[in-house]
Amino acid sequence: MDLAIVWESLPRLLEGTVLTLEITGLSLLAGFCLAVPVAMARLSPRRMLRVPAYGYMLYFRGTPLLVQLFLVYYGSGQFQPFLDQVGVWFLFREAYFCAVLTLTLNTAAYTAEILRGAMLAVPRGEVEAARSLGMSGLLLYRRIILPKAFRLSLPAYTNEAVFLLQATSLVSIITLLDLTGVARIIVAQSFEPYKLYVTAGLIYLVITYTFVLVSRRLERRLSAHLRGQPAGGIGNVVGR
Amino acid sequence: MAALRVSDLYKRFGALDVLRGISLSAQERDVIAIMGASGSGKSTLLRCINLLDIPDAGEVQVAGELIHMTFDRRGQRGPADRRQVDRIRTRLGMVFQRFNLWSHLTVLQNIIEAPIHVLGVPRRQAIAHAEHLLHKVGLDDKRDTYPAHLSGGQEQRAAIARALAMEPEVMLFDEPTSALDPELVGEVLKVIDALAEEGRTMLIVTHEIGFARAVSSRTVFLHEGTIVEEGPSRQVLDHPRSDRLKRFLSNSPGGGRATSHLLGGDDLR
Repeated sequence: MDLAIVWESLPRLLEGTVLTLEITGLSLLAGFCLAVPVAMARLSPRRMLRVPAYGYMLYFRGTPLLVQLFLVYYGSGQFQPFLDQVGVWFLFREAYFCAVLTLTLNTAAYTAEILRGAMLAVPRGEVEAARSLGMSGLLLYRRIILPKAFRLSLPAYTNEAVFLLQATSLVSIITLLDLTGVARIIVAQSFEPYKLYVTAGLIYLVITYTFVLVSRRLERRLSAHLRGQPAGGIGNVVGR
Repeated sequence: MAALRVSDLYKRFGALDVLRGISLSAQERDVIAIMGASGSGKSTLLRCINLLDIPDAGEVQVAGELIHMTFDRRGQRGPADRRQVDRIRTRLGMVFQRFNLWSHLTVLQNIIEAPIHVLGVPRRQAIAHAEHLLHKVGLDDKRDTYPAHLSGGQEQRAAIARALAMEPEVMLFDEPTSALDPELVGEVLKVIDALAEEGRTMLIVTHEIGFARAVSSRTVFLHEGTIVEEGPSRQVLDHPRSDRLKRFLSNSPGGGRATSHLLGGDDLR
């Protein structure tokens, strides 16, 4: 089999890979930062906080990512006068911004759900102990609940990160030249879909497993306090 | 002025009246043993004192300061000022049956956490104090160990050190030895006994009759949410008047002498 086309395309594919990683990284970072307050609001006893968080999570987990992407990218055009007025139209004009915004909102909703479960799984007694020592509100979250919830949610969060990485391939539909976008263009020019999509797939695979390995390392470090204890299935984070 | 005063406390869980009008006061240096069969409301009483459970009615005063309560829109009773509750909780050191150490922190980190982040004690000072407390509870060598690597007795002693680090005015012990293997009970009781010797004000929910007789100055016996008997421990435990208490004492192994030997003698006091 002649693999020349693969070698020739590799530099362009790697350029696309850089964009894929960029979009994934930015969305994960912003999404996580957003997910923490959303998850806290979701668990708040106050309706004013709980209900909007619930609605947000319901929408972004209940509708297809592609629809959300179209909604932001094409839908924002309908609000151009308004967006112009508040001075953010120049952002929505960019496919890049629309992609990162949509992916951020989407992953934040899923991450908030993961964090919500993890916060509920923090042992009640440990929270009571903190309360009995005078901790409450944000201090209690910051010092006890969140550090414990982050550890608990790492395996599920790694899955979310992997899903998001793969979901970024959708941004090629709104004109971005990410890994998938570049592969599509080369295919259109060369009529070699098989070789190019297999190559693109392999690159995704390598990134995915790098994610998983890093996460396992992190998990080992963060579970130092449990080492020597019978580990309840800790370690396997791939495959869901 | 009483270090702690509880008046007419009521608490109901669903259809179950757990506390039915409990009044109790502890003077400074008092060590009060709270006894009773399981389900008699002992733990709930303790948890209502620092508002981990919200009493349906009744008042709690710590060193003369009344915890203000109010009703929300739905008629739920709750503290009027959460900050007051936080502040008062720092003055009540709670020790739990299941220790409740923070598993992701080392023993030392467990102890310095609240002094630093709640009281604002400088880190260096908090560590020095923690090391002193670790010595006191006999855990000098466990300072950097995680709770999962400790025995139950060691965990409970670390939890006691954590509560002491706040320099509370009153210590509340909620069945501190009930979750321990029998051979580990003694090491925890010894620590509590040493605290009594120091003159600390303590409320101890316990099943260890011998320990209560040896260490506590007063014993309160609860049955179905009310105080059935109360008085100097020796009098209450050696000469019970009510049938309830007589039955409770005779059902306990060794007639209640079972644990006092763990303190190094039947007649410690």
